[in-house]
Amino acid sequence: MSMLQDASPHLSRISRFFQTFRVFLGETVIWTFLIVMAIIEFAPISWILATSLRNPSESFKLPPDFWPTSFHWQNYLAVINSPQINFLLFFWNSLKIALITTLAQLLTCSMAAFSFARLRYPGRDLIFFLFLSSLMVPATVIMIPTFILIRMLGLLDSHWALILPATTSAFGVFLLRQAFMGIPSELFDAAKIDGAGYWRMYWQIALPLVGPALSALAIFTFLGSWNNFLGPILYLRSWDNYTFPIAIVMLSGYMGTGNRAHVLAAVMISILPVLLFFLMAQRFVIRGIAVTGLKG
Amino acid sequence: MQEIVAGYLFIAPAFISLFIFLVVPILASFVLVFMRYDVLSPPSWNGFENLSQLSRDGRLQQVYWNTFRFVVFATFFNNLLGLLLAMGVNRAMPSIIKYLLRTALFFPVLTTTASLALVWNFLLTQDRGVVNYLLQQVGLPPVPWLSSSSWAMVSVVMFDVWRACGFLMVIYLAGLQAIPEVLYEAAAIDGASQLQRVRYITLPLISPTAFFAIIISIIGAAQVFDNVWVLTGGGPGDATRLIVLYVYEIGFKRFEMGYAAAVSLTLFAILVVLTLLQFRLSRRWVHYD
Repeated sequence: MSMLQDASPHLSRISRFFQTFRVFLGETVIWTFLIVMAIIEFAPISWILATSLRNPSESFKLPPDFWPTSFHWQNYLAVINSPQINFLLFFWNSLKIALITTLAQLLTCSMAAFSFARLRYPGRDLIFFLFLSSLMVPATVIMIPTFILIRMLGLLDSHWALILPATTSAFGVFLLRQAFMGIPSELFDAAKIDGAGYWRMYWQIALPLVGPALSALAIFTFLGSWNNFLGPILYLRSWDNYTFPIAIVMLSGYMGTGNRAHVLAAVMISILPVLLFFLMAQRFVIRGIAVTGLKG
Repeated sequence: MQEIVAGYLFIAPAFISLFIFLVVPILASFVLVFMRYDVLSPPSWNGFENLSQLSRDGRLQQVYWNTFRFVVFATFFNNLLGLLLAMGVNRAMPSIIKYLLRTALFFPVLTTTASLALVWNFLLTQDRGVVNYLLQQVGLPPVPWLSSSSWAMVSVVMFDVWRACGFLMVIYLAGLQAIPEVLYEAAAIDGASQLQRVRYITLPLISPTAFFAIIISIIGAAQVFDNVWVLTGGGPGDATRLIVLYVYEIGFKRFEMGYAAAVSLTLFAILVVLTLLQFRLSRRWVHYD
């Protein structure tokens, strides 16, 4: 190859020019694609921010803003202090349900996963197979009988209707079992010799070693609960019990189309905690998804 | 002996929860499909009426046709864009730019679908909507995004791809980062072009990731609810009524719980078949090496 190039320096210069041109063209196409996509993905979000800060009477005015041109922060106060609806209560409801669900899932999933990964007893593999096959049953497919069950339990219009069905997840068990399997068994043998019981093995040895998997599960459970829409639509009836997503959607119908700036301020309030969290923990969240890539 | 007791105790909380809120509802569905039940009066035996209604329900066919088109287009574009974005973001670049790109591309994934659908509802309004305004600025005619039955499906797919392609990007990114750098270096030494490297290294080695990504996209898209509930309400007419929204309406607007359970079971069956089929087909084109 190099001999050929030496033999015809003229030819090689032309081919090198074409190669540089092709690389340049390729780079241009790739970067245009990335930047256009980033703008498309982010422009609506910055439109929300810009419009939520407009004077409400101008919230329909064109041209649209994609960055704040006025600073009408009273919209946010109006939403938070609205006399008819207690907005902070929605925030609290969402937070409470998401936190309880997350803690419950971390506990139940890790306990079951520890048992499947580290303990030996008859029927274990059969039960694990049952857990695995339940991954094929999405909650939407059983929403009718689940609703009837919740109604029979007298849990309609209560937050327990959202918390109880979400206290465990087969997916979480599966994820954490993989993590526990990765721990060298010598650690558990040593603990056994030292006279540690199973609870101590689980709590003091196994759990601290699967931090990344636990935090990935925590992030997804929390976000799933925070963003849940179908559940609250099915079970919640009174304004005081509403969670954020359903409250915002109902709020837009309730306030009519005249108060778009207020609705967008409400949307912005619901986005902000997630935005702040993501800006700080981006690497963490993305690695979490990579670990748990199975989750839909 | 102690280990056996401990084993059962440790799975007990998860097992009980899963039994009550998963096994019981599944079993109940199989009873419910033979019942007439409007929630208020006690259920009564309905024989095979609900099941035979499935074949007579013309709207159900329309809804499944909608769902099919939605799933196909959303899965295709989500995975295509997800893979291309991942390949783009995976390139060497200053870390601040990488950070900004990933934040912008991934952000809609984290945010509540229902709120975002509401926002897109504002953006896509025919008169004085932001998207049509931008179209007019570049000399294109305004589009009846949500009010025409042919465009409404386009809007619903567009919104889903806008919201979810960042999620697939992250999954493909994980797959790309697992490909050993050595392979690309060897290919470069052998004089393979950029496109050849993509064709003969990236694509075969990303196939297990693609396989999972496609399965979860299909299963996720088949269950989309918030999107159409907020964006179009299933309309205009039945143009964007997807299967879960239809089940919801049969159950909670028409109060025909038995028939709603029957329709759910068809979706359940389809999802299980799809998953198994995907696993079988994957043997042909997925390389686990």
